[in-house]
Amino acid sequence: MLDFRRMIREDCLEKEDAFCTSECPFHLDVREFVKKVSRGSFNSAYRMYANAVGFPAIVSELCERPCEGACPRRDLDGAVALRMLEAASVRYASNTKPNNYNLPAKEGRIAIVGGGPGGLACALRLANKKYRVTICDMSSKLGGGLPRAMDPGVVLRELELQFMYESYSFVPDLEVTDIEAFASSYDAVYISTGNGGADFGFSGEGPFPMATRLPGVFIGEETAGASPVRRIACGLRAATVIESYIKTGVMKGAAAVPHTRMILDPEALRHSPPVAPLDGELYSKEEAAREASRCVRCRCDACVRHCGLMAYYSKFPKRLEEEIEATINPGTLDGNGTIVTRFISTCNQCGLCGTICPKGIDIGEVLRASHEALSEKGAMPWAFHEFWLRDMDSAYAERSSLAAPPPRRERAGSVFFPGCQLGASNPEYVTEAYRYILDKKPDTGIALMCCGAPAAWAADGAKHSESVRAIREAFDRLGSSEAILACPTCMDMFARYLPGIKTVLLYDVMALWGVPAVQGGGTVSVFDPCSARHKPLTRLSVRKILVESGHELEPLPYEGARAQCCSWGGQISTTAPNYSKWLVNNRVSEGDKPYVVYCSNCRDIFAGSGKPAKHILDVLFGLGDWTRRPPTQSERRRNRVFLKRALLREYWQGTEQGDEENMRRLVINGDLREKLDRNRMLEEDVLSTIESCEKSGRVIIDTQTSRRFGHGAVGSMTYWVEYSLTEDGYELTNAYSHRMAIEMEDIGNGRKDA
Amino acid sequence: MGEKMPSAPGKLTCGLCGVPLELIKAQFGYLGHKFHTEVPRCPKCGQVFISEELARGRMAEVETLLEDK
Repeated sequence: MLDFRRMIREDCLEKEDAFCTSECPFHLDVREFVKKVSRGSFNSAYRMYANAVGFPAIVSELCERPCEGACPRRDLDGAVALRMLEAASVRYASNTKPNNYNLPAKEGRIAIVGGGPGGLACALRLANKKYRVTICDMSSKLGGGLPRAMDPGVVLRELELQFMYESYSFVPDLEVTDIEAFASSYDAVYISTGNGGADFGFSGEGPFPMATRLPGVFIGEETAGASPVRRIACGLRAATVIESYIKTGVMKGAAAVPHTRMILDPEALRHSPPVAPLDGELYSKEEAAREASRCVRCRCDACVRHCGLMAYYSKFPKRLEEEIEATINPGTLDGNGTIVTRFISTCNQCGLCGTICPKGIDIGEVLRASHEALSEKGAMPWAFHEFWLRDMDSAYAERSSLAAPPPRRERAGSVFFPGCQLGASNPEYVTEAYRYILDKKPDTGIALMCCGAPAAWAADGAKHSESVRAIREAFDRLGSSEAILACPTCMDMFARYLPGIKTVLLYDVMALWGVPAVQGGGTVSVFDPCSARHKPLTRLSVRKILVESGHELEPLPYEGARAQCCSWGGQISTTAPNYSKWLVNNRVSEGDKPYVVYCSNCRDIFAGSGKPAKHILDVLFGLGDWTRRPPTQSERRRNRVFLKRALLREYWQGTEQGDEENMRRLVINGDLREKLDRNRMLEEDVLSTIESCEKSGRVIIDTQTSRRFGHGAVGSMTYWVEYSLTEDGYELTNAYSHRMAIEMEDIGNGRKDA
Repeated sequence: MGEKMPSAPGKLTCGLCGVPLELIKAQFGYLGHKFHTEVPRCPKCGQVFISEELARGRMAEVETLLEDK
């Protein structure tokens, strides 16, 4: 985690300048400027531009437009015409008067040698700050070469406008020859003598303005042959450098500004042709706004663009890194400020961020490690993952789990490990797949267990180690170190935590061994599970199977190495239910065609939101249809129990009976069943709660309806049940739960006199 | 069935003691924090009743606040 956190701090490109800003001699914040123009705020745009360039009417006419050369639109459909937008801001701002700040006069006396564009810019900024400024020039007029470069009337009006509230002295016809003697009369001197002007032996390579060896004397870029616009920019920077010298006495020139390292996501650019001004020269307001809207405000934002979590919560990595630090190591004793606890637990752990980040920064890894750190401190709320950890326990329970050698054999060559959710979704997925495998490879045993992903996602180290140990022992007992897996997430877990077991996915062996004849066909989209991101062969196998079975494939915007999570990863639905729903809606809207998936969780989540979806085993074995309702959580647990019994009956002469009889004592209508499922309440837990209340007599009775209420602990949750007694059991009328515990209920009634 | 409103406390009696519930202070805890609030409770044995409205309303709000604290 520390490596990735260091990478976020040092390598993340979010804060890098846009290409145009990086090239701009004034470092104009173009993203902000075009935003103002695009919404027609010309006054605000002008003010920003004027602050950056000093003489907006001059710069907007003379600028050589290095920005346009750097614009990523240039090679696509034409660079954003920034100079014309700047000219539009000058033309359409209703108030171009400079601000008149009532500041006290400053002590420093500053001389500027050269009254051209650079000297004037420096003089303007220093005069703005109320320093005593003297401009000296060899000629009798100010402006240097500007009046020859453009309309002298515009130059004159602009100088008058920008200096309207400022005062300075002008010494004409003065040629400075002895700079040392000249400088001795001033606190600082800026040499801005223009192309071919005197450099007093202070030549250098910059960055400009440069500090010379004479205390207080600085020199601009113009002696190095810069254009008038670059000289203006240099003069503005010189004012800052000189002020710093006057305040600190330290001779320090301008620092070099590093070139932007920004990398633009290719998807940021969509074709948008340039707007040509109708009058040929100047944009109308509306044209300027349209042209400004072509700017995509370049920013390295691949993570926020593609990761649902960062997009939904609008959090860039740098901010996240700070918030994670404050959450893991809060600055206050009571732990206030743990601002991203929930966010940390909301990551699907899909790995897309690390794939799409041009620097390979995997925020998911940072969040995973942060989750572990918070869990170790006991600072992660138990409620976020308890339901899923109990689900994992149920997969390991005696009635659901199994580790059996191949039928009529003692040792297994391979072990089919379908994972805990495949059989929970539909037991036939497992029974049919196992039958197929045994037909091709009869020395295959079977293990009904959980790969440990829920514990890894919940950062429950103890439970996770227990699960890894159980799997290893099962494989040892069966005498095999080869697993055929059906779930790509299981495969990730095996690769990470059980490297001694060789794994292959069922779909890869099916592509190799051949598949049953399939009915149907049609056009479908393969929704790759996020855990197939680094499994290119499996992705190909699934497509091969589908094409060979008569399907046409329509690609999705996110597939293959850019696969997204269906929302299941990290089991985030309890932690962030609204985000989880938003994610599912996005996923199912990405393609019009029905989805074929090879992760049963993807299937059930999509089908649950109304999207036609089949697991590839549905397609191959003719099992569920496109709209099969996903089982409720209660049904999923029963399916696991059913699956174990079905396998034992078929292959190992099992005769075990279930406890369905007991569940029949509880009557629940359909709507209430859905409500229970929505709130992650299990029917068997509801029944246990009722039975426990009835046994202890701790019930509350509604005297009008005769309905009974009771509560009990289920894990750390408190379940409430409302029910009526029937002849042979109970009819549930409502159930709900809360996380807060009722404390000291048995000790007293809370009254002081009790 | 839906998210129904609870029965009024006046109609609720304790199944163990046979007496009507009254609004009495009770203690709750979550993530290391403790709270006291008045809820319908048996005045004899202390058995507590939490309505769905309270569980899914104010209690859920406080739970979320504490989780995000």
